[in-house]
Amino acid sequence: MASFVPTSPDTLEDQRLYTRARLTEVACLDCLAKVGVKKNSEHHTSIQWNDEARRQCPEFSRMDQRPEGRPVHVGCPRLVDSIETAAREGLIPIGAEDGY
Amino acid sequence: MSDTRFLDKGKPPERFARGWHCLGLESAFADGKPHGIEAFGGKLVVWQDSQGKLNALDGYCRHMGGDLTQGTVKGDEIACPFHDWRWGGDGKCKAIPYARRVPLRARTQKYPVEIRNGQVMVWHDAEGSAPDLDILPPELPGVGTDAYTDWTWEVLDVPTAHCREIIDNVVDMAHFFYIHFAFPTSFRNVFEGHVATQFMESKGRPDMGGSGYGDADLVLKSEASYYGPSYMINWLWVDYKGFETEVILINCHIPTSDNSFKLQYGLVVKKPEGVDEETAQYIGKRYSDTFKQGFEQDVHIWLNKAPVQNPLLCEEDGPVYQLRRWYEQFYVDKADVTAEMTDRFEFEVDTTKANEYWQEEVAENLRRKAAEDASSPESSDDVAPDSAMTGT
Ligand code: FES
Ligand SMILES: [Fe+2]
Repeated sequence: MASFVPTSPDTLEDQRLYTRARLTEVACLDCLAKVGVKKNSEHHTSIQWNDEARRQCPEFSRMDQRPEGRPVHVGCPRLVDSIETAAREGLIPIGAEDGY
Repeated sequence: MSDTRFLDKGKPPERFARGWHCLGLESAFADGKPHGIEAFGGKLVVWQDSQGKLNALDGYCRHMGGDLTQGTVKGDEIACPFHDWRWGGDGKCKAIPYARRVPLRARTQKYPVEIRNGQVMVWHDAEGSAPDLDILPPELPGVGTDAYTDWTWEVLDVPTAHCREIIDNVVDMAHFFYIHFAFPTSFRNVFEGHVATQFMESKGRPDMGGSGYGDADLVLKSEASYYGPSYMINWLWVDYKGFETEVILINCHIPTSDNSFKLQYGLVVKKPEGVDEETAQYIGKRYSDTFKQGFEQDVHIWLNKAPVQNPLLCEEDGPVYQLRRWYEQFYVDKADVTAEMTDRFEFEVDTTKANEYWQEEVAENLRRKAAEDASSPESSDDVAPDSAMTGT
């Protein structure tokens, strides 16, 4: 059943641009989980996980087990390191296209 | 072809979100009277039975359409004011005092009820599925005990906007500067499963101090998660002139039509050491008043803006499209929920450039203000700021 319905086909193209364009695959140096990464600038990072990668990450599994932990995890420090390394090595293009 | 950007207003969905919706504090319904709640394009009747259990049914009687919210609680049932048909919390008509038997088909729409953190949650699903207890919002440890103040509770009517407007705020970094007069210094989003979270740190705007809004002495840490489509828990740590306060704010809403909703918010404050009961409750009340200003600032924007299906974003904006992709899962059939809608997604907003520009702007405002007058800012009682921001 239709949810929010765009009235222009260009809107679908916008949805694709903002959610899927320019994602670079990065593998975690520790657990080898593969995620899609985009960096519009040095300080910006966008990370798209999939189910397989999410289950592969041992850090998240550990955090899930901690009873006193928050239900939402900010992020995996090992993956952050891996992304920084990849960026340093020039494997992730840094800078946005037209706002995406 | 025109190079003018088209604003796609789109069309709102034909259904209301699947999930748990909060109707308010449990204590507000515990008086043996029927309560009418506008929701999901109609009206619900909510009442407490003799066991203390809360029940929620469609507000209109299946006999001749009588308004059950104007009925009477008789025993465990709600009795219709029109011909006294008695409806049970399970949705079945239990008795018709003037009839030989009750028609077998006398069943009405019921909304499963659960209590969480002293609040009433009802399950809504256009497909009529059984309530999913696994995705109820989490229990808040310590809340409801002496460690925290009592819940405050307020309702704001938003008569001309779809409730997706308030959801969009989860990712809207820049509006915190312009609408709520704060510098968001750190801003991050995480969406996963049915939960969408915003992590934010901010400071008050010194150029807005004294006017009842922003305050430079205010440092805020905020963690805000939507558990499902309408119920946000916002943990706030406020440092005001060295006085630290922990606040838990609930920001939730009930859709009333495809272009209106009721915004509700309530909070508890962790009672600070060495503060007496009365002062603690007063601090809670002060925060509630303060957050009210913030919500009203948002409501003013929604009531005047256009719906936008195709927002045009800049590099400093948050992930609006990914948030909406997450939100979509509550509006499609359960079988049509895709992996993309629920897969984990993280987004760290680059706040560095924005803050440089904003510091400039604020410094300029302060220079101008200083030149205009030397009026001293109003003093406050130091337990709570005149305005503190939330994650909305
Ligand atoms: S309409 Fe309710 S009893 Fe007749
Ligand atoms: Fe806001």
